[in-house]
Parts: sequence; structure tokens; C-alpha cells
Amino acid sequence: MKKKILAMALSAVMACSLAACGSGGSTETAGAKDSKETQAAAEGNELTVWAWDKAFNIYAMEEAEKIYAKDHADFKLNIVEVSWNDLQTQLSTILSSGDYSQLPDILLMQDFAYQKYIITYEDLFTDLTNSGIDFSQFSGGKVKASVVDNKNYGIPFDSGTEIAAYRTDILEQAGYTVDDLTDIDWDRFIEIGEDVLAKTGYSLFSSQAGSSDIIMQMVQSAGGSIWNEDGTPNFIGNETLEAAMKTYEKLFTTGVMATGNSWDEYIATFTSGKTLGAINGCWIMASIESADDQAGLWKITNMPSLPGVAGATNYSNQGGSSWGITTNCKNTELAVDFFNKTFAGSTELYDTILPSSGALSSWIPAGESSVYAEPQEFYGGEAVFEKITEFASKTPGFNTGVYYTEANDALAVAVTNVCSGSDIETELKTAEETVTFNMGQ
Amino acid sequence: MTSKVTNALAYVFLTIAAVLSVFPLVWMIIASTNRSVDVIAGKLTFGGNLAVNYSNLISAQDVWKFFMNSGKYAILTTVLSLLVCSMAGYAFEIFHDKYKDMLFVLILMTMMLPFVALMVPLFQMFSSAKLLNTSLGFLLPSISTPFLIMMFRQSAKSFPVDIIEAARIDGLNEWQIFFRMFVPTMRSTYAAATTITFMNAWNNYLWPKVIMTKSNSQTMPMMISSLTSGYHTDYGMLMLAVLITTLPTAIVFFILQKSFAEGITGAVK
Amino acid sequence: MYAASFQNNSKGLNFPMEHTKNKRMSLQQKQRLTGWIFLLPGVLLILTLSFYPALRALMTSFKTGVGVKMTWCGIDNYLRIFQDKVFLQSIKNCFFYLIIQVPVMLILGLILASLLNNPKLRFKGLYRTAIFLPCATSLVAYAIIFRSLFATDGFINSMLMNLGILENGYNFLSHSFSAKIVIIIALIWRWTGYNMVFYLAGLQNIEYSIYEAAKIDGANLIDIFFKITVPLLKPTILLTVIMSTNGTLQLFDESVNLTNGGPANASITMSHYIFNKAFQGVPNFGYTSAMSFVILIMVAVLALLQMKVGDKRD
Repeated sequence: MKKKILAMALSAVMACSLAACGSGGSTETAGAKDSKETQAAAEGNELTVWAWDKAFNIYAMEEAEKIYAKDHADFKLNIVEVSWNDLQTQLSTILSSGDYSQLPDILLMQDFAYQKYIITYEDLFTDLTNSGIDFSQFSGGKVKASVVDNKNYGIPFDSGTEIAAYRTDILEQAGYTVDDLTDIDWDRFIEIGEDVLAKTGYSLFSSQAGSSDIIMQMVQSAGGSIWNEDGTPNFIGNETLEAAMKTYEKLFTTGVMATGNSWDEYIATFTSGKTLGAINGCWIMASIESADDQAGLWKITNMPSLPGVAGATNYSNQGGSSWGITTNCKNTELAVDFFNKTFAGSTELYDTILPSSGALSSWIPAGESSVYAEPQEFYGGEAVFEKITEFASKTPGFNTGVYYTEANDALAVAVTNVCSGSDIETELKTAEETVTFNMGQ
Repeated sequence: MTSKVTNALAYVFLTIAAVLSVFPLVWMIIASTNRSVDVIAGKLTFGGNLAVNYSNLISAQDVWKFFMNSGKYAILTTVLSLLVCSMAGYAFEIFHDKYKDMLFVLILMTMMLPFVALMVPLFQMFSSAKLLNTSLGFLLPSISTPFLIMMFRQSAKSFPVDIIEAARIDGLNEWQIFFRMFVPTMRSTYAAATTITFMNAWNNYLWPKVIMTKSNSQTMPMMISSLTSGYHTDYGMLMLAVLITTLPTAIVFFILQKSFAEGITGAVK
Repeated sequence: MYAASFQNNSKGLNFPMEHTKNKRMSLQQKQRLTGWIFLLPGVLLILTLSFYPALRALMTSFKTGVGVKMTWCGIDNYLRIFQDKVFLQSIKNCFFYLIIQVPVMLILGLILASLLNNPKLRFKGLYRTAIFLPCATSLVAYAIIFRSLFATDGFINSMLMNLGILENGYNFLSHSFSAKIVIIIALIWRWTGYNMVFYLAGLQNIEYSIYEAAKIDGANLIDIFFKITVPLLKPTILLTVIMSTNGTLQLFDESVNLTNGGPANASITMSHYIFNKAFQGVPNFGYTSAMSFVILIMVAVLALLQMKVGDKRD
């Protein structure tokens, strides 16, 4: 009843504004056209997809569509470009309003947010555990991002395996090679870094100020966690986290790590020569390669490990995403079949998208393809994709938890304060309190 | 002598203000001709990458379609909103009484609540009214704004009441008084309101993005958001896109500034 | 026109007295009715599309829960605000911006508008357009430029170093006070021209001859500004004061794009924090609605005070 009154009020308003202006008529037709399109989509073999990167995941989806359409002539994807921030806004609004009919059939989800959405909105994603997709063919740590209570809710797509990339020409000036920076810990890294800084004026790498991403990467590299078993934050007395904070502080105060105040400044530090390297998820390669005048000068190796921490490795991960099928999907069978023939079953797809987009697969059979062994000119003729695939296999798993964003924000505040002189223990305590406060809603 | 000095000072002051204001636009024009790495490195000279940036942009995005979408929505919103809000603002002042004054305060208060709080309830309403994914749903919330209503109410204060009385005695009805006397007299207010409304409508982003869930009817601000959300941002291309997005508002302003800043003084008399 | 009024008058004369009285009554009623009809579309739109959802949001603000699992919680959300250090910090930040930025910006806008209102001034159109441009400039571009201007090796630093004011480059955006100042400078830069537009439009309702006469009487520029321009522009000034107060307390763009609220939340605004809570983290729309209503209350109190001072009908 309430809804009816509302609808009536709205149509009255509508009529008013239409009557007020002759040109209003065109809005109505435009509206009608839109809804017709939607109807056609529901009837035919069409799936709607939300994704956000034209050169990366949207491109991959388009290639997948082509492959699937070879055997299914009437198959069509309607890919809507939605930036990650907008996607979160839209999802929260739609889910909270309860009108799930506005959800797409398939949506791309950042791995760090997967747990949050599965647990906060139980009926957002379709359970794919027994759908016929073989999850054992994906690398284990990666699949975990979209698993809750042993149920699979996502099909892994790209991984953000951590790489360290350095300019060999500047390292050489200081008398070092990339081998000197391979398989080392952060203490040794800082030693070399100080020397390089003194000799050349270059910092070894950089990070974005006010972000705790690199801290998280360090914690993951040592197999650590920021959560207790029961899901409460584990910051105070967390040795791995403390070691990471200490390392960060040292990197910052020695100047071995430069900072950029924003994402564009961060990118500029290595594309226009303030730092001679970058340590981040492998997707950072696209930005490194945008400085095409530096082709052939870069080399890739693994990241430094946390000193004095049990279980420390030189491997980590930053970012990455997976595909989810929503409960609004009217044709789940079609969607599952599509994924089985493409992202979870086609080497051809991965062979196509890797060279042109650098989309590194977490589907294990794809890594055996010869495309991965091809030398990359930009990185001095090395087969970097093979190397990164190897890194990926050694990366420890990481539990993002439901409150990853809140933890990330609180740790970012902590690390900023530590760098301006506050002590680590106090800041970790404050950060834990902040996260606990946010969880207590 | 002194007036010459003050005049000279005025020119100096205005020139400084103008240069400071224009600098970012100039930078944007320069940046759109450079490579991505040069843009973020802060290069201040023209480069030769404009053609490349343009071809990258049109191959990545359907720029001119989005441009037309933005234009269509901005113009429709501006026309409807000017009509609806100026009538309301006029009535709040000319026909004011105790109830209307109270209603005005109530209306003003609705703009003081951040839009974030309204999004979910508004989405539910539009969902039950079947207005999701329609152009009307896109436009409707931005037609009537407390801001514009207040702007017209405030400027109606300088519209002389004697004239209205005289016109009533002359037998003009209220509609005629509004359309034949108020609208032409308040040309400068309408011109200023057009500029501002057009700008706001052109940049309108959050609600349209939320309500257009299925179709691909993007606008320029949405496109720019998309251009910055990938793993790698091409800043040269991005700057060309923001330049194209900025120009219409600048042009609308330039065309209208004469009408709102000059020459209608005394028309009332 | 004259003919029409004559006809009307002569017609009126033909009616008996009481009839005229009745007609006048109905005329007044008619006027009142027309007034409401004029208001109807605008008011109806706002009541359905802002006021009604605002009531719904008010209800939500008394509920709590993550996602869709909401339960009634009384005024818990409002009490929670007093313990939320980040939100309290954001309130302080917003008032800091408000107190400094709004007066500076509005006075600057007024000065610019009165200078540009001089009909003898040359290149008026160009000056006006130039000064308006900042608010039309895309946020993305403007954020990049402002950040690079204030970067450690940016233009501002090299200028200050050349003048001998600074010895080493200062990272403005990484210190809490200077980050706020950068936001204020950016706000003034972006919105002065915008407010100037209203003043310019408002000034057109003042006869330029008033200025000429005052000048002949020997009034200086400052006298003219305070005794003629400001009083006559009072309605427009009230409009811009209320709008700027509202805009600053709901400030979002600059906090997100220039400083991302940093360093360590030192420059975050209330709207930015609310948006993060609603759409970035695990959403609790009850709590975010409550915070939104706190903004509403603060703006409403300020606006009512401003209207008391500036909106007297005499």
C-alpha cells in the first residue's frame, strides 16, 4: 500500500515536471528504450558483467566472450564499465535497498573485499562449490580469498604477485646488480639502499604516503596475520606486524624508501627518476612500462624478507580480483558453463590476454603454456611471466578478514604517526582500538 | 591622479587573480599534449602527443556519445530546473505569508543532509516507482533544488512590489506578471542561474551512476572515473578527457557572462 | 496598457459596492492560490525526493546493524558519535575550514565583483571568465595540479627557497597544519569565482548612477563598498553565506582528492568520513545516517542564525 502511494506521488511529480516542459517527452521515450533493452537481455543468452579496467579485466572478458561465442552463436556479454569505487557505492546501495534485480549476472570483485561482501550480504553471491568448476586447478592461496565456510563464491582471475623491479643502469653506477637485491632481507636492503642513495641520489623504491599497503605485503610475506582466530584484530604484540612497522620506519628515515603523496606522485617517483625501483603487485608493470624510453633497463626479482621473523619469505601479494556470479543471475548454468570454457578451462584465453595485458593467470594449467616462457624485451629479454608464476607458487596465504579496509585505514594512520616520531607500540594500540571500535557497531 | 592609481591597482589585482585562476586550465591544455610519464613529472611545455592521446581516448571510450549524453541531461535539467525553481522562489517572496516562510525553512533544511544518507531510501523509492535505469530517474532529483529556489527568492526581493500592484490594476494576471515582467527583468539572475545549474548538472555524478545500473548510458564524469580506476592510468589521455569535459561549462559561462553582468540596469523603472 | 486599465476601472465602477468587496476578497484568495500553484512543482519535488527519504534516513539512524540486518537501537548511534575519535576530528577540521575559508572567499568574491562591475573597465569578459574558470575545471586535473604545486620539489617550495624563506623543501601535504592550509587555499581558489557570479548578478539590480553620485559627493572606494554595495547586496550575501556554510560543512571533494584525509586523518571532512564508512568499509547505514543528521543539525543552527541576522523583512 505504502509503495503504491509512493509510486502515485512520484508519477504525479513526474507528470508535473513533464507538463512543465515540452522537451520532457523525449525523456520518457529514452526511458522506455532503456527498459526494453533490459527485457531483451533477460530473455536471450546474454549476461551482464560489471568490471572496471578497459585494458585489463574488461579486455579479458571480451576475449572470453569471443572464445565462448565460437560454439554458442547467440551468446552475448553486456559489459558495463564501473570503476571499483563506484562499484562499491552501487553494490552497497542496491543490496541495502533490497532490490537485487539491479545486480549484474557476473561481477568482478577485489580479493581484499570478497570476505566482506560474502559475510555482510549472505545472498549476494551464488555458491559455486558444486557447480562443476574445478577449483583445485587454481593456486590455493588465491582461491581462499573467495571461500567462506568451505564454500566457493568466486572464480579466481588475476593475481597480484609481489615483484621488485629495479633499474639496472643506475644500480650499476653504484656498483650493484639485481642479484645483490635477490633473496635478501630488509636489513641488507637498507644497507645497500643507503649506499646507493649516497652514490647516486636515488632511493631504491617508493610507497604512497598514508597507505599501509606495503606493511600488509610484509606481513603476508612472513605468513603473518593481522587477525586472531576469532576475527578480532591482532595488532598489539604481533611480532610480524611490529617488525614490518620497524622496517617501514627505518626505510622512511634513511630515505631508502621515497614517498609520494598520492597515487600519481607515487607512479612518477619511478617513471621519472626519483627512485630506481618499485616493489608492488605485478600489475605495477603496466605503469613501469609506460616510460617506454627505459625499455631494456629494468629487471625483476623477488622482494626482501622480514628480518628476524620465523617463516619469513621473499614472496607476497598485493591486489588481484575474482569473478562472482550473483544470485540475480537468471541463467546460472550458462554463466557456469561460460566460466568452465574460458577462465576455468581455456589455455587459449590466457595465451591471448597475457602478452597484451599482462593478466597473469592463477589457473595453473595456463602457466605451463609456452607464452609464459617468452622473453620480454622491456625487462632485458628475461621470461618474467615464468618467473612471476614461480613467485606466486611460493607466496604464503593471507587472511584479509571482513574488516580489511578498516584495518588498512587504522594501520595507515599508525604508520604515518610512527614516521613523524610516535612510537610503534602506542600507535598499534590506538590502531587496534580504532578497529575494535569500528567492529563494535 | 588618485583615481588613475586605483584604476591601475584594480588592473594589477584582476590580472593576478585571472592568471592564478587560468593557470590550471593552461596546464591541462599542455598536459593533454604530453605523454603520461611527462604529465605526472610536471612537464610545463607542449609535447607532441596530442594525436596519440586522442586516438587512445576514442579507441578506449565512446567519448562523443558520452559527451552528447552529458549535454542532453545538462540542458534538460537546466531548463526544467530554472522554470520550476524560479517560479517557487518568486512565489516564496512575492506571495509570502507565515506558512510559506515556514515551508521555505523546511525546504532549505533538506539540502543540509548529506546525500549519502538519502541514497538508499531514494533508491528504494525509485525501484518501486520503476524509475531505475530511466532518464527520468536520472534527472528527477536534480530538477528542484533548495539552492536555486533560494537564489530566486533572494533576487525577487529587489523586484519592486509597486510594479506588481500596478500590473494587477492594469489587469494582468499572476502568470502574465511572472512571465512578462519578472522573467525579463531578472535576466541577469536567470543567466547566472543557468551557468551554475548547467555546471552542476554537467558534473552530476553520484546519483546517475547509482541509478543507471544496467544500461551503458554513461556521461563524461563517469567516463573520467573509469579512466582513473584501472591498474594503469594514462595521464596524457586523462588530461585530454578532462579538458573536453571542462570546455562546455567554460563556454556557457563566456557566452552568458555579458547577460548577467551587464546592461539591464534600469529596465525595471 | 492604458486602454486596458481604463476598461477595467470603468467596469469596476458599474458594479455595486459590496460586489466589488467580494471580488477583492476572491482576488486575494486567487492570488494566494496562484502563489501555491507557483510553488507546487518545486515544493512537491523536494518533499517527495528529499524530505520523504530524509525521514526514512532519520528512522534508519535509530537502527543499527551491518548490511541489511538492522535492528532498533534507540539513540545509540548518536551516543556512539561522541566516542568516534575520527568523526570528532573531522568536525574540528570542518569548522576550521569554515571559519577561515568562508569569510576570506566571500570578501574576495565581493571585491572582485565590484571591480568587475565597473562599466569602464576593459577586457571585463575575459577577466570574469578567467576568474570563474576554477570551479569549472575538472576535479581530477585540479587535484593533480595542486598537489604538484605543493610537492616537496614543487613550484611553491622552489619559490619560497628562492626568496630565502625556506632552506629545504617542505612537504606541505604530510604535515597536519599545512595540509589543512592547502585545502583552504584550494577551496578559496576554486569557489571565489563561483560566488562572484552571484554578486555580479546581484549588482545589476543596483543603479550604477548611485556610485557615480557617491563619487561626486566625495565618498572614497571603501565608503562606497561598505555603505552602498554591501547593504544593497544583503539578500545575495545571505544566500552565499548559507550556501558556503552548507558546502563547507559537507565538504567532500577536496578532502578525498587533495589529501585523502591525511596525514593520519588530520584533514578529513565529515562527509568524507561518512562516505568511507558507508561505501568503503563494512557498511552500517544506521550509524552513517546518524552522523549525517549531526551535520544537518549543525548547518541548520548556523543557517538559522544567519537568517535571523540577514533575512529580516521590514
